Amino acid sequence: MAEAKKEQTSTHKIGIYLWIWGLLFVLSFFSYMVDWYNFQGLLRWSLILFFMFLKAGLIMAFFMHLFWERYALVNVLLWPMTAIACFVGLMVAEGKYTVFSRLFYFFVGGA
Amino acid sequence: MSDELNINKKTKYKIKTKSSTASGRGETDIDYVRPAELPEQDLYHGHSFITKWIFCQDAKVIGVQYTLTAVFTGVVGLILSWMMRMQLGYPDLFPFLTAETYYQMVTMHGMIMVVYLLTALFLGGFGNYLIPLMVGARDMVFPYVNMISFWMFFVAVVVLMASFFVPGGPTGSGWTLYPPQAILEGTPGSGYGILLMLISLSLFVIGFTMGGLNYVITILQARTRGMSLMRMPLTIWGIFTATVLALLAFPALLVSSIMMTLDKVLETSFFMPTIIKAGEALSYDGGSPILFQHLFWFFGHPEVYIVALPAFGIVSDLISVHSRKNIFGYRMMVWAIVGIGALSFFVWAHHMYVSGMSPWFGFFFATTTLIIAVPTALKVYNWILTLWRGNIRINTVMLFCLGFIVTFVNGGITGIFLGNVAVDVPLSDTYFVIAHFHMVMGIAPLMVIFGAIYHWFPLVTGRFLDEKLGKLHFWITFLGAYSIYFPMHYLGFIGVPRRYFEMYDSPYMTSAVGMNEFISLAAFIVGAAQFIFFYNLVKSLRLGKPAGKNPWKANSLEWLTPDVPPTHGNWGEKLPVVHRWAYDYGVPGAKEDYIPQTTAPSEVKDAEVEKT
Amino acid sequence: MSDLNLDKLPGGFKGMSEDIGSDQTTFKGVNWGKAMMWIFLLSDTFVFSCFLVAYMKVRASVVEPWPYPSEVFALEMMGVPVPLLLIAIMTFVLITSSGTMALAVKYGYEKNRKMCGWFVLLTAIGGLTFVGMQAFEWSKLIFHDGVRPWGNPFGAEQFGAFFFMITGFHGTHVSIGVIFLFIFARKVFRGDFDTGRRGYFTTMKSDYVAIEILGLYWHFVDLVWVFIFAFFYLW
Repeated sequence: MAEAKKEQTSTHKIGIYLWIWGLLFVLSFFSYMVDWYNFQGLLRWSLILFFMFLKAGLIMAFFMHLFWERYALVNVLLWPMTAIACFVGLMVAEGKYTVFSRLFYFFVGGA
Repeated sequence: MSDELNINKKTKYKIKTKSSTASGRGETDIDYVRPAELPEQDLYHGHSFITKWIFCQDAKVIGVQYTLTAVFTGVVGLILSWMMRMQLGYPDLFPFLTAETYYQMVTMHGMIMVVYLLTALFLGGFGNYLIPLMVGARDMVFPYVNMISFWMFFVAVVVLMASFFVPGGPTGSGWTLYPPQAILEGTPGSGYGILLMLISLSLFVIGFTMGGLNYVITILQARTRGMSLMRMPLTIWGIFTATVLALLAFPALLVSSIMMTLDKVLETSFFMPTIIKAGEALSYDGGSPILFQHLFWFFGHPEVYIVALPAFGIVSDLISVHSRKNIFGYRMMVWAIVGIGALSFFVWAHHMYVSGMSPWFGFFFATTTLIIAVPTALKVYNWILTLWRGNIRINTVMLFCLGFIVTFVNGGITGIFLGNVAVDVPLSDTYFVIAHFHMVMGIAPLMVIFGAIYHWFPLVTGRFLDEKLGKLHFWITFLGAYSIYFPMHYLGFIGVPRRYFEMYDSPYMTSAVGMNEFISLAAFIVGAAQFIFFYNLVKSLRLGKPAGKNPWKANSLEWLTPDVPPTHGNWGEKLPVVHRWAYDYGVPGAKEDYIPQTTAPSEVKDAEVEKT
Repeated sequence: MSDLNLDKLPGGFKGMSEDIGSDQTTFKGVNWGKAMMWIFLLSDTFVFSCFLVAYMKVRASVVEPWPYPSEVFALEMMGVPVPLLLIAIMTFVLITSSGTMALAVKYGYEKNRKMCGWFVLLTAIGGLTFVGMQAFEWSKLIFHDGVRPWGNPFGAEQFGAFFFMITGFHGTHVSIGVIFLFIFARKVFRGDFDTGRRGYFTTMKSDYVAIEILGLYWHFVDLVWVFIFAFFYLW
C-alpha cells in the first residue's frame, strides 16, 4: 500500500532495464574474448576481475535496485565485504606459502 | 514543512514550561514523538494446544523452548565434564574411561557448551524473549520462520545426541574437528560420529540463520515509536551485534562442514593431503588441512564473541538496574560492542600461531588481537565506573555481575598473554589455554546467564527466585569455579598439555597430580551446587514470592507490559511510546530513583534529565 | 499513521546518519521481507565467498597441474571444439532470466497482473533451462570424461571436487528459485497479490513486494554465476 503510492519512484521506464541487459551481454562477450584470445598472466587476471566486478556492480545497482536505495542499506551490505577481502588476501598468501613448502620440502629436498 | 520529514526531531526542552497539557503539535510540544511509520503487525494467533505450545509462533514461547533445550544440552555437557575430571583427577579409578572415550567426551563437551548451550541460550533463549519486548514490538517480524528455526535447532540437537549411540561413538577429534585426523581411522568416531556431528552443525547453522534474520530485522525495522537505536538497552545491542556476527560467521562453518563431509563420504581431497597409513598411501592427495583451520577459525573467533557480546550487553543492564545508576558511557559501550564485533573478523589466526601457517601472519593477527583488547577493556572500566558511587543492592543478581567482572578480567588478561605470538608458542595447547577460555567464555558468561535468570525470572513467571538459595548457589559456583580454573594457569605454565588422557610419568607431570585432584574435587562440588539452582527454579515456579509488576524498578520496556507475565501481543491495545533511553536512574529532581522509558518529558518536568 | 515520503528525506551520507539515528526503522520504506532477503543474501554471499576462497587456496596449493577449463568445458560443434560454448549459452540464459525478472518486478508494482505473471513464468523457464544445461554438463563430465569428485583424467583431483561442489550448490540455489518462481507465477495468475490472499504456511497476506523479494534472490543467483564463471571457467 505504501509501495503503491511510491510507484513513480520504484518503477522505471523499461528502457533502463534493456540498456543494462545489453551492457551485461557486451561485458560477458568481452570476458569470453579474454579466453578466446588466450591472454595470460596479469593481463588475463586483471581483465577477468575487471569485467566480473563491472557485471556484478551493474546487476546489484540496477537489477537489484541498489542505485536507488537509501545509503543506509547500501552501506550495511557493502562494508562486510571488507572481511571477505581480508580473508581472500590472506588466503592468497597462504596458498603461495603452502605450494612453496611443498616444492621446497618434497621436490627440492629442503631441510 | 511537515514534522515527519525531520526524522531525528527530538523533543525540545524548556525548563519549567507551562504547556504541560499541550495538545497541539509544534515547537512547544515537549512530548512529541514521530507518528508511526508502519501499520500494526499482523500477528498469528494459535488456538489449538499444538499451535499454542508446540509449533507456537510467539517469540516468548520459542524463547522458553530454546532455553529448555539449550539447558538440557548443557547439562549433558556438564556431566561429560564431570567424567573428564574423574579421569584427570583419579586416573586409575575408572577403567571404563578409556583414552578413546576421554577424547570423545572432550569433543562433545566442547561443542555442546560453545555452540549448543551458550550460542543457543543467548541468541535463541534470551534473544527471542527479550528482543520484541525491549524494542516495543508485539512479536518477531517473521513468527513462522522463527518457529521453524527452533525446530531446526531441536533436530540438530537430536542428531548430535544420536552420535553417542552410533557404531564408533561420537567424534573424538576435539571440538575444532581438525582434518585429516578427524575423518581418519585412529581418531575415535571417525566413521558415523564425525558425520553426524557435521550434519548436526549444518542443521544448526541453517536454523540459526533463520532465527538470526528475525532478530536482526526486528531490531532494525520493528522498533516502536521513539525507540531509536541509541535508546535501546545494551542487552539488545549485545544480542544484535552477536546475531550479525552469527549471520556472517556461520557460513564459514557451513562451508568447512560440507567440505569435510565430502572428504569423508566421497573421498574428495579438500583438506586431505597425501597420507601414508601403515606403509600404504591412501587415495587422498593434494588437499590442505590448514585451509580447514582458516575456515574454522574464521567462524570460530566471531563465535566466541557471539557468546561474549550478549553477556556484555546483559551484564551492563543488570549492573545498571541493581546499582540504580545509568551505565557509564552508554554511547562508548555501544561503539565498543560494535567495534569488537567488526574487529572479530580480523583476528582469527591467533588460534593458529603454532599451526605451521605462513609465518608472516603472526604479525598481522597479533596486532589486530591486541587492538581488539582496547574496546574490551574500555567496557570493563565502564562497568566499574557504573558501580562507583552507585546505590548497589547486594542481591543474587548483583553478586553474579560482580563475579562476572572478576572472572572476565582474569580471563581477559590471560588472553593478552596468548595474543602475543612469542608468549603463545610455549603456552599453546597447554592448560593455560583451557584456563583462559573457560574463564572468559565459560565462567564469565555463565555468571551473566545465572544473573540474568535471577533478574528476569520475575518477568517470565511473575515470581522471585529464592534469595537465600540464590546466594548459596552464587558463592559455591563462583568460589568453586575459581578454584577449578585458577590452578589451571599454573598447570599450563609448567607445560601440562591439553587434550591429554592422562598425566603420564614424566617428573613435571607427576607434580601436577595433586593439583588435578584438587581441581576435580572442586568441579564435583560446583556441579553438585547446580542442583540447588535447579531446585530453586522448580520450587519458585509455584512457591516463589509473587513479584508483581516491575519488581526491580527497572526502566526498560520489558517490565512495562500491561500483563506480567506478558501475554501474546505483549502490549495489549496500544504499543508503548518511548521518550528516553533505558538508563534514567537516580536523576536529580525526579520523584523516584528511576524513570521508565515510556515516561513523557512533561511528567518529569523538574528533573534534570539528559537529552537522549 | 503517517506516509513516509521517501523523496523528501535527505539523501546521501547525511541521510544515512539520520536514518540510523531515527526511531522505528533504519531502512526507511523497506518492507520487512525485503530487508530480510537482503541480509539473507549477505549471509549467502559469505557462503559462496568461502567456497570460492577455498577453491582459490587449494588450487594455488596443489603441485599437480590444474586442468584447463576452456578445454574441459569445450563442446564440439560440427567437428570443431568450441571452448566454453555451453557456459556462454548458460550465461546468456541466466542473464536473460535476470532481465525478465526485473521486468516482472516492474509490472508487479504497476499491478499489471498478466505481464507480471508472464515474466515470472519466463524467468522460471529460463532458470529451468539453466538447470537443464548444468545437468547436461554434469552428465557429460561424469559419463563421457570420467570426472569424479575423487579424481579426474585432466589433472589435480580437486578440480572435479570443487566443480561439483560449487556448481552443485549454485544449481541447488537456482532450483529452489525455479520452484518458488513457478509457485509465484501461479499466485500471480490466480490474483493472490491483488486480493492479498493469506499464504498457506505463514498465514500472512500476499503483496506484490514478494515479487521484488523473489527478484532479489534471483538476481543474487545470477550474481553468483558471474563470479563462478569468472573464477572457475575463465581463470
